[in-house]
Amino acid sequence: MSWNTDLDRFGDGVHVPAVRVHQLLGLALLTLAAASPAAETELSVVQVINFGQQPAWDAPWRFETVQRGSGSGFVIKGKRIMTNAHVVSWARQIIVRRYQDPRPYLAEVEFIAHDCDLAVLRIKDERFFEEIEPLEFGGLPKVRSTVVTYGYPAGGEEISYTRGVVSRIERQPYSHTGIRHFLACQTDAAINPGNSGGPVVQEDRVVGVAFQGMQGLENAGFFIPPPIIQHFLKDIEDGRYDGFPRVGIQLAGTQSPAYRSWLKLPDNGTGARVDRLLPICNKSGVLLEEDVLLRIGDYPVASDATILFEGNRVSAGVAFQLAQVGDTLPIQVWRDGKEISLQLPMEACEVDRAAGFQYDVLPRYFVHGGLVFTPLSLDFLRAAGIDAADPGQGELIYELRMRPTDDPRNARPEPVVLATVLPHEINANWSVRGRAMVDRINGVRIEKLEDVVRAFEQNRSDFDVVEFVPHHAVETLPRAKLAGANTEILSNYGIPSDRRL
Amino acid sequence: MNLRPVIFAAAALALAIAAAPTARAQSQPAQTPAVESPWTRSIVTLEVARKQYDFLQPWNTRNRSAVKTGIVIGPREVLTTAAEMFDRTLVRLQKDGAGEWWVGEVTWVDYHANLALVTTEAAAFWEGLEPVELRTAAADAALQIARWRQGNLELRRAEFTCYVVREAELSGINHVMLACDSDIVGLNGGEPLIANGHCAGLVTTQSGRACTVTPASLIRSILEARRQGAYRGLGYFHWFWQPAVNLDSLARLKLPGRPRGVIVIEVPERPDGAPTVMKVGDIILSIDGFEVDTSGNYRDPEFGRILIENLSTRGKWAGDESRLRVWRDGQELEVAYRLPKYEFTNALVPAARYDTPPEYLIVGGLVFVPLTDEFLQSWGPEWKRKAPFRLLYYRNQPRTREQPALILLSQMLPDPYNIGYQDQRLLVVQKVNGQPISRLSQIQQALQQPVQGYHQFEFMPGDAIKRLVVKAGEEETEATARVLKRYGIREARRLAD
Repeated sequence: MSWNTDLDRFGDGVHVPAVRVHQLLGLALLTLAAASPAAETELSVVQVINFGQQPAWDAPWRFETVQRGSGSGFVIKGKRIMTNAHVVSWARQIIVRRYQDPRPYLAEVEFIAHDCDLAVLRIKDERFFEEIEPLEFGGLPKVRSTVVTYGYPAGGEEISYTRGVVSRIERQPYSHTGIRHFLACQTDAAINPGNSGGPVVQEDRVVGVAFQGMQGLENAGFFIPPPIIQHFLKDIEDGRYDGFPRVGIQLAGTQSPAYRSWLKLPDNGTGARVDRLLPICNKSGVLLEEDVLLRIGDYPVASDATILFEGNRVSAGVAFQLAQVGDTLPIQVWRDGKEISLQLPMEACEVDRAAGFQYDVLPRYFVHGGLVFTPLSLDFLRAAGIDAADPGQGELIYELRMRPTDDPRNARPEPVVLATVLPHEINANWSVRGRAMVDRINGVRIEKLEDVVRAFEQNRSDFDVVEFVPHHAVETLPRAKLAGANTEILSNYGIPSDRRL
Repeated sequence: MNLRPVIFAAAALALAIAAAPTARAQSQPAQTPAVESPWTRSIVTLEVARKQYDFLQPWNTRNRSAVKTGIVIGPREVLTTAAEMFDRTLVRLQKDGAGEWWVGEVTWVDYHANLALVTTEAAAFWEGLEPVELRTAAADAALQIARWRQGNLELRRAEFTCYVVREAELSGINHVMLACDSDIVGLNGGEPLIANGHCAGLVTTQSGRACTVTPASLIRSILEARRQGAYRGLGYFHWFWQPAVNLDSLARLKLPGRPRGVIVIEVPERPDGAPTVMKVGDIILSIDGFEVDTSGNYRDPEFGRILIENLSTRGKWAGDESRLRVWRDGQELEVAYRLPKYEFTNALVPAARYDTPPEYLIVGGLVFVPLTDEFLQSWGPEWKRKAPFRLLYYRNQPRTREQPALILLSQMLPDPYNIGYQDQRLLVVQKVNGQPISRLSQIQQALQQPVQGYHQFEFMPGDAIKRLVVKAGEEETEATARVLKRYGIREARRLAD
C-alpha cells in the first residue's frame, strides 16, 4: 500500500477511478424570492452569482464567452462571505444576493485558495450586513451525526435545505485543481449544483462548506470540514494565502512482517515508511528514504500509513496538512534501528501547478512568425481536446505529470508547447501544426517560455530552427521575411501583443 | 520508420475467433460446389489448432482453433498467411470445401511478411488440385476474393482502393499492401485476391469492408529468394525521417536545385551493432535509383507513388545493401546501407515472441514476467488506450545497452509470506538485491545473493511503491512451494535462457 502524500495526482494511469468528481456550481436563475419568516441561519446564507471569463488556453490572448454561474455562500465574522473558490474563479463581476432581498450587492474576492477550494469575499456596501449575524464555526462533526445544508441549488429559486448524516470522513481529491487531496466529509444530504459554497450546519454552527459530488455515487455529496476551513482562515490572517505545506514524500505501510524485521521495527502495528522522496517539494532534507514515521506532531502513525484523527482513520498526510507553512513540526522517526526525534519544517510547494487546473492568472505565451508558444499545462491539454489519460499523447502527458518526479534530471521546469500555427505564407509549409512539445530552438534547449523568446531574439543566422519532441522533428522559418510577417500576423488574427511573459 | 501515422489493423484478425469445423463437416460427403469454377481446384481450407497463452497467468495454456484459407501454388505446396500458425499443435487441410481432413505439415513460416507454406504427405489430398500463378493485379483489373463457405466456393467482387505502405500484421515492418473494399464478411486471412485468373495476393486483415492484401509480387519475390536460399527475413530502415515539404528546411540545408528528398531527424543505434551510416540532417535524395519526393514517396513501376519504406523490402532482404544518394554537409554523396534484420525482441517492449511460451518466475507468490506487447494485449482489443499509461509509455522509449528489456512484478499471489504486499501489481523491476534487472534470469541470479537474509526489490519510479523486502532462504522456498500448490501451478518458472 502506498500513499502519495504530497503529490496527489488523479488518474495515475494505473487505476481508473470509477467515479468522477464534479463541482456543484449551478446555473440556477433567481428571481425575486417571496417573503417568508426567516430563521437566523437563513439570513446569513447568500446566493453568489459570478460572471466569469476564462482565457482560451490554446489561443492565450483570447477570452472565452462570459459564463454566468451561481453558487452559495455565507456570512462569517469580519464582514466576510465565505464560498468556494470554484464559485468565484475567473470572476469579472460577482453579485451577492441576500435571503429574500431583491437588491444585488457587488462583491470582490479578498482571498482565494484554489487548492482547498475556499474563498472569502468583501462587500463595500455596508447595508448588506444589516440584520445579518455572522455564522459561527463548529468542530468536525461526528460520523452518523445529522447535518443540514443550506444553499441555492438548481431546480428552484428559493433557499433550499437538505438533511442527512455524515457518512464518512477521509482524505478526498479536491476537484477544483484536480491534484490535491484534503480531508473531506461525505454526506447523504442532497448536495446539488448551486449548493457549492453553502454552509453545512449542525446545532446552529457551520461544520462544513458544500463543494462537490461524485458522478456514479448516489446520495453522496462532499463538504469541506472545519479543520480545512480553519486552516485557510488562519493562513490569511497575515494578509497572504500560503497554502498547505507539502513534505514531498511517498509513504508506504509497514504491514509486511518481513519489511518490519528488515528495519528492526518492533511488531506493534505502528509506523509508515518513507518509500520515496519526491524530487519536487522536498527541500529540507530532514527525512530520508527508509525512515519510518512513528509520530507526526500529536498523531501516532499506524502501520497502514494512517492516523486516528478525532475518531476517524485518515491518511497520515492529513497530519502534515494541519500545520501551517512556516511551522516546524516535531516528528518521531525510526532510523537505523532506533527512534529519533526530528523537527520538520513545513514548506509550501506549487511547482507542479501546471499539472492541475489553474485559475485567475492568464496563460503566458509568445507568438513568432505565427507560431504560438505557451507552457504545457493541464488547461492547455483540455483546450486542445487532449484527454489527459490518452496514451496516444504520451509525450505531453508524461512530460507534464510524470517526468518531474520520475526523471527529475531530464525534467524541464516549464515545458513549452507549440500550441498552434497561425497560417501565413511564412509558415504555410510547416508539417508540425501545433500540439507539439518543443525540444530546442536554434540549438537552445527550451526549459521555460523565456528561453523561447531568447532563442529567437538572439539568433543572428538566416533561419530559425525549431526541434520537437519526440524524434527531433525539425522545422525552419526564414528570418528575412519575419519582421513583416510578425506585424501582419498580429494584425490578421487580432492579437494585441506578441507576448505575455 | 517514419513519422506518418501507421494504421494498426493487425489486431482484427488475430482476435476474430473462427468457428472450428464441426463433426458434421467431416461426416458429409464432398459436395459438388454450386458455383463451378476453376478456383475450386486451387483453394483449400486449413484448420489450425494452437496453444493460446494467458499472459496474466502465463502458466496457463488454452486451446484455440481457427479456420483459414490457403491456395495451392505448386506441387504439394499450399500458401497461406502466418497468422494463427504460431504455437500450433495441429494443422489439417481440406479441399472442395467439405469432406475429409488431411493432417498437414507447415514447411515454412515467416512472421515478418506473414506467409506460410503447408503440405501433407497424403497423396489423395493432392489429387485434382491444381496450382495457380501469383501475379500482381493491374490497377484497373476486376478483383474477387474467394474462399470455401458451407461447402461452396464464395467468390465476391472487390474494388481496388490503392497500394499503400503499411505495417505488416505480425511484425512492425512497413511494406506495400493492396487496399480494397468488398462486401465479403468474416475473412480469417489467407483468402486469395483473384485478378485475371491469377492470384493477386493474400488477404491479411479486414476491418468492415476494407481489406488489406499482401500483393503477389512481394510474395513471389520472397518465395523465390527462399528457394534460392537467399531469404534471411525482412530488413528495414532503422532511422526516423520527416517530409521536406518545408522548403525553408531544404534551403537551410543548402540543397541546390528543385525541392526533393526527406530529412533524417533521428538515427538510433542499430540493434546489430553495425555502423549507423545515416546522419541527422541528411536529405535522402534517392534509394536504389528511385528518386524521393518531399513527402517521402517514390514512384514504384508496379505500385505507383508509395512511401520509401517499401524500398527496404522491394527485392531486398535483411543483410542486403541499399544504395542511397544523400545530401550531407553541402554535398551529395552515395551511401551503402546494410538492412538490419527485423527482430521481434529488438524493442524495449518487444512486440511478440511467436512459437515460444511466455516466460515467468514465481518467488513466494511474487509473479515476474517480461513486459511485452502480448502482456499489454491482456487489456483487450483497445489495449493501446486501456492498458496502464506508464507501461504503454515504455513502448516509445529506446532500448539501451543498460536496459534492453523490462521485467514486471505483474501480480502477487497472496500467501502469508507476502502479507502486506497483496495489493502490489504492475511494478517495473529496477533492481533485485542491488543488481540491475532486464531479464528474468537476472532475477534468478540476484536471488542467489540475498542481503543479510532478505531479498530487496526496487521498482522504477511510479505512483506505487518503490521497494519491498521479503525473507530469503527456507521461508522463501516453502512459500513458493505452498503458492504453487494452492494456486494449481505446475512450475515456479519458465525461462527462455
